[in-house]
Amino acid sequence: MTKFLIRRFLQMFVLFVVFLTIVFFLLHAMPGDISNQLIGNPNIPPEQREILRQTLGLDKPLFQQYGIYILNFFQGEFGKSFTRYPSDVSTVIGAALPRTLVLFLAATVVAFWLGFKSGKLIAWGRGGKTEQAYIVGGVFLQTVFYPWFALVALWFFGSQLGWFPLGRFIDSDLWRGTIFNANNVFNLLILSVFVAILVFGLARLVIGRLTPDPLIQNRYRRIVAVVVLAGLVAFWWFSPMRIYAWDIVHHTILPVLVLASVAFGSTMLLTRSAMLETLGEDYIMTARAKGIPERAIRDRHAARNAMLPVTTSLVLALAFVIGGGIVTENIFSWPGMGSLLLEAVTREDVPLAIGTLSIVGVLALFGHLIADILYTILDPRIRIS
Amino acid sequence: MSVEDRAVTETLDEELAELTHGAAAVTQVPMWRIRWRLFRRSFARNWSLFAENKMGIVGLVIIGIFALMAIAHPILMATVWERSIYDPVSGYDAVESIVTIVEEVTDPATQLSLADARIQMNPFVEVGDEITTVLQPAPPSFSGEHAHWLGTDPQGRDVLSQLLYATRAAFLLGAIAAITTVVIATTVGSVAAYYGGVTDSIFMRFADLILLMPLLPVLFVMGPLFGLTMLNLGLIIGVLNGFGGVAIVLKSQALAVKVKPYIDAAKVAGGGNWHVIFRHIVPNVLPLSFLYMMFGVTEAIAIESTLSFFGLLNVRMTWGLMINTAQTQGFLLSGVDYWWLLFPAGLAVSILAFAFFIVGRGMDEVINPRLRARG
Amino acid sequence: MTVSLENLEARQVDPTKPLLEVDHLIMRYQVKRGEVSAVEDVTFTIHQGEAVGLVGESGCGKTSIALSLLRLLPSNARFVSGEIRLNGEDLIPLDPEEMRQRRWKDIAMVFQGAMNSWNPVYRVGEQIRETLNTHYKGVLSYEDQDALMERLFAGVGLPAEMLDRYPHEFSGGMRQRAVIAMALACSPQLIIADEPTTALDVIVQDQILKELKRIQEELGMSILYISHDIAVIAEVTDSLGVMYAGKLVEYGPTDEVFARPLHPYAYLLLKSTPSITGPRRQLAPLEGEPPNLQNPPSGCRFHPRCPFATEQCVTEEPPLAEVRPGRRVACWNYEDVPELEEALVR
Repeated sequence: MTKFLIRRFLQMFVLFVVFLTIVFFLLHAMPGDISNQLIGNPNIPPEQREILRQTLGLDKPLFQQYGIYILNFFQGEFGKSFTRYPSDVSTVIGAALPRTLVLFLAATVVAFWLGFKSGKLIAWGRGGKTEQAYIVGGVFLQTVFYPWFALVALWFFGSQLGWFPLGRFIDSDLWRGTIFNANNVFNLLILSVFVAILVFGLARLVIGRLTPDPLIQNRYRRIVAVVVLAGLVAFWWFSPMRIYAWDIVHHTILPVLVLASVAFGSTMLLTRSAMLETLGEDYIMTARAKGIPERAIRDRHAARNAMLPVTTSLVLALAFVIGGGIVTENIFSWPGMGSLLLEAVTREDVPLAIGTLSIVGVLALFGHLIADILYTILDPRIRIS
Repeated sequence: MSVEDRAVTETLDEELAELTHGAAAVTQVPMWRIRWRLFRRSFARNWSLFAENKMGIVGLVIIGIFALMAIAHPILMATVWERSIYDPVSGYDAVESIVTIVEEVTDPATQLSLADARIQMNPFVEVGDEITTVLQPAPPSFSGEHAHWLGTDPQGRDVLSQLLYATRAAFLLGAIAAITTVVIATTVGSVAAYYGGVTDSIFMRFADLILLMPLLPVLFVMGPLFGLTMLNLGLIIGVLNGFGGVAIVLKSQALAVKVKPYIDAAKVAGGGNWHVIFRHIVPNVLPLSFLYMMFGVTEAIAIESTLSFFGLLNVRMTWGLMINTAQTQGFLLSGVDYWWLLFPAGLAVSILAFAFFIVGRGMDEVINPRLRARG
Repeated sequence: MTVSLENLEARQVDPTKPLLEVDHLIMRYQVKRGEVSAVEDVTFTIHQGEAVGLVGESGCGKTSIALSLLRLLPSNARFVSGEIRLNGEDLIPLDPEEMRQRRWKDIAMVFQGAMNSWNPVYRVGEQIRETLNTHYKGVLSYEDQDALMERLFAGVGLPAEMLDRYPHEFSGGMRQRAVIAMALACSPQLIIADEPTTALDVIVQDQILKELKRIQEELGMSILYISHDIAVIAEVTDSLGVMYAGKLVEYGPTDEVFARPLHPYAYLLLKSTPSITGPRRQLAPLEGEPPNLQNPPSGCRFHPRCPFATEQCVTEEPPLAEVRPGRRVACWNYEDVPELEEALVR
């Protein structure tokens, strides 16, 4: 298993270098010298132009430039942003990255969870109008013009119903005059959720050591989950940052749900067909013959196996989520990587565009790696061979 | 095999037997006629399978309607639509309408707020006055000298004309992307499966790379930097799909074909590599590639519209650009008040993509029998 | 390999008492245009401790019978009439939940293709434990379950460590042994073995069959073998039923049926199968194809393929009648078969 993952990791690394190379050559296939684009930019003093020329090695031959570029990347050196001069590109990206990660992760989890559940249920209760309606709905979500869909959602839930704020990350009126910094509160939020997950994971391990009986394990796990969740809620409830944290969460909900709904459709349809396939397997018949209750057959046998192809396709959903995430961020004015990318592109901030694009590439690769790991965990035929 | 399947196969066999009975018959009946009849038979059978799935038929009907829309535009431009008014890009029509001055606007199509009116038109108007104004975007009008069934956009251009014009653009883009995909993917898939070994791994690693690449972000950067046009974009999407995911799927299909006895027979009969690939493997992989063509069209339309929506493409008029215009002029959150700006284009993209997708699903059920509804 | 089953309780057997009685069972599948009569008026009895075989071509309804006994039929199946009595109680009117609790506890099943009987993502031990948890919830402690599973595995000749392995780590024969161990887990009165050895090679086939036979005899269970291979079944069963097109055409003690089949179909089926252990004999092909059960032939369902068919066979359906003590056959001309046999061979 470790061997498989190491090989996969190396493969990803190589692919990433290739990706960087493509980005590099794309840039050089572009008409004109990058630094010439700065001439018209009043933000940037002439010295900086010279510095940029040197850091990018524009006076050197192409292969040297390439070497410098790759080296710079792995040192986290992306140069300075043109539009936000004199900020470093890495600083700008550093602030945006956590927000994007949260958006992507939350949307993926929500989409996968709901999509899997509903796909499982409609495949189980085969036939009838409900299934047809779900299929049409799933296909609609998968093919709807996403930016338009996001706009309509924003208009409907934000403007008409007023349930959610009209985009942005925080309500600046609320934060005026507080001692708290929005980024710090946000990072603390992430940290607390992360700690909660970690505690739960550790508890699981301990429980596994305590008793081998799965029935007892399940009972303990449920207790631990409730306790950890209660602890997390209590922590924020009694924190002085409560209203600020809630403000951030409130701003996050709609973009997450809208982004999730796209990947939801495809996950649901895929789970449905994977379920139909597993339901025809012999071991389902065996489970029935064994007198296993129908619910357990559905969840423990059919759905558990249907999860395998769905996990593989998580990779495809990832493309949806990354592409959709960029659109979402721009429509909801969510200050993440997607907003940065569009801003950099429309205002011709080349270093920022390259930096953002490369990091998005890293995100995509990590997503694939995580999907691979998940798959190895889920499928013993790969785990043990 | 269902009863009717068997019936069709039997008649097919009979016909074949009749066609190829004895050497004399073979010389009398030209080969193309046998092929043509076989094709017609298998088409009829596949069609009856496809038609069982009502969704697929609905998809075809929708695509047909859009095709009519695409054809309608040049005809309308040549006959009833004056170019200066109805051109999707440069047309302009000053629609005069009568509005009432009010404090609070409840219906922007017939009302104007007092503050706006005093600044924009006449500082002496009062609440309750009715004034004539040039309203842009204008709501739909069905009468008058120049009817605008879907109103005009913020720049006074006819929305219906834009919509129809953009339909043609969408079809063009979809066709370019899909054909490129199919040509490349069938070739790559068949060649990789046939030769195997190093050829195979090179193509497959390349496909992996493309799958890993975040396509939309890359196009976000490439679009404005290279000033991508419709044609470029269609080719890029086609090439990436053709070498990427579709190639992988078609390769596994080609692998299944490669082990069939008739491939060996063709080789023994002295067929060269390319002969075997293009006369025997490719034709058997093609049906599956048509399926991915459908999904490819969906994807191409979605990507193009998204990029145009952000104004990152160098195009004349597309559905995405129509919404982009509404966005840049500040009508984004107007919702149903200015429905003709947001809904026709948004729905057009969604519905056409939906149609191609469900046709693809319908074809999938014909090609993969295990997906067919059971019980 | 000698293994012991002494730890598993053997049942007291009274070979005269019927365990399972299938009584004039008619079962049909609803399809788009009409009905498929898969099981048509089938009657037979399995006594305590008896091994019964059902043999026939694929599609003759033998698997449908097996699934009927457990009521595991697809949703388009319908019981038209008849009874399936287990210890005198009819299973057909039981509500689904009651039936579910009976499965495996009263009647267990060994499916064809052990390969796929196991869920690939769970350990074999976990899957046996799941069965125990279903039927003995709260009765057996976790440790008791462990002990029982180890005994079961020992009983079929598998080491206890294998319980912690995944199905893909087993060979085909081991997997089938493990399936048998699982079938024994709730000590059922009846085991249905549907093509239990089809996917295995000949040597393993033989081992598994002997194993099953031994276990069945030692534990005093009844067993219903289902196979298309008359030679395999003949070695391990006491009684043999031959099915054709949804109907039971011949039933009797295995030795007698095997030595002297009375129904032409049974006769031809036997002639078309080579035997490894039995005497050498001339093989005769069984011509034609099984009929379409949506629209079965008139009269005797075998008449279109029967070399001995007469006018009567086309119009009248022969009943399954007891023609000699313990021998039942559904044929108008069964007495003529030996004479016609000569004509056929020439």
